[in-house]
Amino acid sequence: MANAFVAAFEILSFGAIIVLIVLGLGIIASMMGIFNFAQGEFVLLGAYITYLAYAKGLPIWVGMVAAPFLVGALGFVLEALIIRRFYAAPIVAMLGTYALGLIIREAVRGLIGGFYLTVPEPIGGSIDIGTMHISAWRFTIIVITILVMGGCYLLLSRTSFGLRMRATLENPSLARASGISTPLMYGATFAFGSALAGLAGALIVPVFSLYADLGIRFLIQGFVAVMVGGVGSFIGPVAGAGVIGTLSAALPWVMAPVVADVLVFVLAIAFIKFRPQGLIAGKGV
Amino acid sequence: MPKSMGAVKQAIPAEIGGGTDLAMAERVATAQAVAGRKILPIVEGVVLVAALVAPLLLQDYLTVFATRVIILALFALSFDLVWGYAGIMSFGQALFFGSAGYGVALLARDFDITNIFLVLPAGTLIGLTFALLLGGFLLLGRHPSSVIFVSLGTLTGSYAADRLARGWYYLGGQNGIPSIAPMTAGAYEFSEGPAFYYLVLGILVVVYLLCRFLVRSQFGLALAGLRENEQRIAFFGYKAQHLKAIIFAIGGAIAGLAGSLYAFHEGFVWPNMVGVVVSTQVVLYVLFGGSGTLIGAVIGTVIVEGVSFWLSDNYRDIWPIILGLLLLLVILFRPLGLISFVLGERERVGSFGAKEKRNAAP
Repeated sequence: MANAFVAAFEILSFGAIIVLIVLGLGIIASMMGIFNFAQGEFVLLGAYITYLAYAKGLPIWVGMVAAPFLVGALGFVLEALIIRRFYAAPIVAMLGTYALGLIIREAVRGLIGGFYLTVPEPIGGSIDIGTMHISAWRFTIIVITILVMGGCYLLLSRTSFGLRMRATLENPSLARASGISTPLMYGATFAFGSALAGLAGALIVPVFSLYADLGIRFLIQGFVAVMVGGVGSFIGPVAGAGVIGTLSAALPWVMAPVVADVLVFVLAIAFIKFRPQGLIAGKGV
Repeated sequence: MPKSMGAVKQAIPAEIGGGTDLAMAERVATAQAVAGRKILPIVEGVVLVAALVAPLLLQDYLTVFATRVIILALFALSFDLVWGYAGIMSFGQALFFGSAGYGVALLARDFDITNIFLVLPAGTLIGLTFALLLGGFLLLGRHPSSVIFVSLGTLTGSYAADRLARGWYYLGGQNGIPSIAPMTAGAYEFSEGPAFYYLVLGILVVVYLLCRFLVRSQFGLALAGLRENEQRIAFFGYKAQHLKAIIFAIGGAIAGLAGSLYAFHEGFVWPNMVGVVVSTQVVLYVLFGGSGTLIGAVIGTVIVEGVSFWLSDNYRDIWPIILGLLLLLVILFRPLGLISFVLGERERVGSFGAKEKRNAAP
């Protein structure tokens, strides 16, 4: 019983991490049609900013709060300078964002070297339930993920900003005709997606420690999750992330980790092949 | 490739339409006649001569490096066929390169088979088989797959193979398979050096000529049509998905050939060879040099690897950053790659099929 509970917690917390990372990726892919290869590096930057704050002697949470804002601002600038030119061609966008990601990743690698740098958990210790101990920080990540998810949903479905964003997605020319500044909306969407990646990086760095290839590790999983969930809506990628995160955390409990690792990808690609629209088809929130 | 669109869209109806658009066909022909000289053969000739004399001028350790570059150029050629000509974004080309490398490494390790006439066909076959399986799965089917699905599918395949190679003890795990026995032909052993260099160069030239013939044939014309407008090609009655699967398999076979040469030249294989790192590297080469021209892939490989080798002593840390910046600039401002500085649009698109007929026309 205790074992099963610990396993369930592990699976849930890894699922939450994947959801957190995919949120930004999914919003950019769904709302703008761009598969952002630099997203993993935005996660890395969020982690790096948190590490910097820690290394300078500031409380860790300062870095965690600053990370989404700084990465979001960077995303806004990059969108205006570079990403904007790629909207017409999805493949070129992939290559362009890949080049951007390469620059960011190698710059960070130059700054931190080939090391694994650890950042302590801002909320340490464990929560004890009877005889079982679960990591307090991982529990916090789950809570924050749920809050962020809810917040994003409300932002997209209930605010005028969300309405304009969805209008820009569904029919850009009509949105422009209705007085919505679509370039600004694209910029804001991209910045928002980047900020979410920054937040994800800041939150996971105590769990995974900081190294230059931190982002790549999650990027492909994120892409697969977005495809499985379905591009075009907010809920789709989140659902996909839940499925992929749960599967990749759960399968190693029942089979050899190597096989499980590969099996998740094979299953996911096969699923997308036969259901290209993903779990949740259609546009909207 | 927005810049290329105009010219090809003009050229294709002129070619396929035959009699329907004579005026345009005539214009294409006149433009070529006016241009008079062809730059592409000159570029190819210069590269070939440079490659032939290189070992005479280079020190030994540089010849070894040059051999590696030639093998990678062969690999780049395979990606260029798939992306530059057929417009299939294969972000997992290393899967075929690396699996062939692993395959021949296993042949050498477990079965003592190092004969060049066995291992190279075996590697090519491995690449071909994997490409047929993956390409068949991703490209064929009732509904045509989206470009995004194909590119992410190949990327995922390559990533999954990397993870598998890392975790599989039989394949050596993280360390890969070290100290592969040298390739042999009878009693002769190919070790690093001029002999290996000329062997690889010979293979590259043969494969290059085959590819050149392929892309200039009617098949190549259909491929170029696929790249520019898949739907139109399908409406003409071509089985677009089959064409794609065929060229994907050919690309996989060439990548497999390159991979088996690479494994024997380096003497070891390791998980990165099937993974995302090498997959994206080959994309860099081709974009840099110029996709959609065979020689562009070769030049791109030589430049990227050469500069990286040259800079790696002093600027090892910042070179990848520079590479990323240059790549971004190329994508933004020179989508056709460096080759487009010397090669005109008309010549890049090229002429297809029966050339004599057009020249003979009054």
